[in-house]
Amino acid sequence: MRLSGAAVFSFGLAAAAAYAVFAALRWPPKAALFPLTMGIPLLVLAVAQTVVELRDPPGQGGPDGATRRAFAVFAWMASFIVLVLLAGFPIAVPVFVFLYLVMESREKLVLSIALAAAAWGGFYLLFQRLLHFPFEDGLIRGWFQ
Amino acid sequence: MIDALVQGLALVLQWNAFSLMLVGMALGFVVGLLPGIGGAATLALMLPFVFKMSPVEAFAFLLGMHSVAATTGDITSILFGVPGEGLSAATVVDGHPMAKRGEAARALGAALMSSLVGALIGAAALAVSIPIVRPLVLTFGSPELFMVTVMGIACITSLSGQGTRAQIKGFAMGFLGLLLATIGQERQSGILRFDFGLIYLWEGLDLIPVLVGIFAIPEIIDLAVRGTSIAGNAPAAKLGAGVWEGIKDTFRHFWLVVRCSMVGVFVGILPGAGGGVAQWMAYAHAAQSAKDATDRSRFGTGDVRGVLGPGAANNSKEGGDLIPTIAFGVPGSGAMAILLGAFLIMGLHPGPDMLTKHLAVTYSMVWTLVIANVITVIACLALLPYLAYVTRIRGSVIIPFLLLLVFVGSYTANKQIADLLVTLAAGALGYLMVRFEWPRAPLVLGFVLGKLAETYLFISMARYGYSWLGQPLVIVLIVLTAAVVAYPYFQDRRIRAA
Repeated sequence: MRLSGAAVFSFGLAAAAAYAVFAALRWPPKAALFPLTMGIPLLVLAVAQTVVELRDPPGQGGPDGATRRAFAVFAWMASFIVLVLLAGFPIAVPVFVFLYLVMESREKLVLSIALAAAAWGGFYLLFQRLLHFPFEDGLIRGWFQ
Repeated sequence: MIDALVQGLALVLQWNAFSLMLVGMALGFVVGLLPGIGGAATLALMLPFVFKMSPVEAFAFLLGMHSVAATTGDITSILFGVPGEGLSAATVVDGHPMAKRGEAARALGAALMSSLVGALIGAAALAVSIPIVRPLVLTFGSPELFMVTVMGIACITSLSGQGTRAQIKGFAMGFLGLLLATIGQERQSGILRFDFGLIYLWEGLDLIPVLVGIFAIPEIIDLAVRGTSIAGNAPAAKLGAGVWEGIKDTFRHFWLVVRCSMVGVFVGILPGAGGGVAQWMAYAHAAQSAKDATDRSRFGTGDVRGVLGPGAANNSKEGGDLIPTIAFGVPGSGAMAILLGAFLIMGLHPGPDMLTKHLAVTYSMVWTLVIANVITVIACLALLPYLAYVTRIRGSVIIPFLLLLVFVGSYTANKQIADLLVTLAAGALGYLMVRFEWPRAPLVLGFVLGKLAETYLFISMARYGYSWLGQPLVIVLIVLTAAVVAYPYFQDRRIRAA
């Protein structure tokens, strides 16, 4: 018996299902019927899968450094969301493309600037000129107003 | 009727209407490539521009845009694994693995040709069924609609893969999808479920951030991990070729395309079901139609049938959607609800008038669907060999643009920053599912159908108690659902016995 990532994932699923069932038990029957009908079988299946994963753990999958690369991409995505929150989409879009290309992809500065400008141009033309799509200003702009 | 049909064609081919249709198509082409801001959102944004147009011009503009967005959504789904039109996620499941194998042109050819066949079948259904659809729509009350959604959910058996372990994982994911659909305010009692004190969750999770996160983010991570282009080491000469192979695939599996188109039309007619349901039910039907378990296991790994089915249904449902909208003023989807607004702006009242006094206008809509799709497919086919070369661009250069597509797309669906966090969370879930080999399709099917199923169940219970279970059409649908669940098992047993 070995605690693999797959077993932890299955256990997490079982825990989420157990929470859903526990929460639904406190609701009136009308509101609880559907979550209970879905949550109980999910709990049973997830527990069964956890047991299977613990008894017969799968081999380590993925190439070397895959997890590190995945974390790096998630970190970039989280950074983009923070950037949008702070500066708003119109500024975040070119800044993010430029920073990603320079820092993560190690592209040449000229190419990075050109692609960031292209991203901004495409975004501006489509969303702001053509569709007049309302994007929220970032928090920073609010602080200075 | 023939006179009205010809008159409708003449109206669309008038210079003003035709040029506005081309403008709408160009707009639809671009927004179709972006997730989130799909056909419905663009219709809403463009509605203020139709005030000065005649009814035929307005519908040529709006429908031209809407129907093209449904077609071009498949392009981003296949090339990048980012669901283009938000709801076109089912095309990702097999289309993107084909692109990774260097068969992007074949997948795109198949998606476009099946879309065209689907659109033509949808338009034909619209043209012939308007006078006869009333009894069908009235036959389907809440109990029957609930059973149709249950039948869709039952398709999870076909999407779960082979063996007991795969079935456990498939069903667990199906139940998780259904459970996720219960987040938010319960419509009958007003109880807030799984809201964690967040106002954002009162309306439940939106489909687009969840779909885009689950499907696109794992593909982007895979691209980053591989450190190559999307097509990897596939020979460059192979990329642009295969368009004709994809077109031929449509005719090799013609009856599958026709059946999936009919699924699209049927789901389109049902009020409230929407495009996602049509695509996933068509995908499930395509998987269900596999010869045996081995044949079925090819789905999800880049089987062209998994592209043809959703491609056809995605476009045929546009014709189906229009049927209840025009005939009764009951919109089949969000986009049709917005189109209903256009009817009222134009001073038209959906219902009997559209089938008598304004029949030519009604048929002009049929022709718009046909002409817009034919022009789009011809234009796309000319561009396809070049589009396929996008899969040769280095991953390190294309990844920030894909991330922009994902997050800008998710935001534009509802204009909520919280949607970006949901996309990220769904992406993490999708990544773990791929890593630990849990199927994503059943989760999405459950999520898409969950809310509908619960709503219809409660209306049925409130209106009929338990007696709805004895209604003849419900019994037929229960038998059909049992057959859908049992079919893969019987099929395997029969083949093993042989």
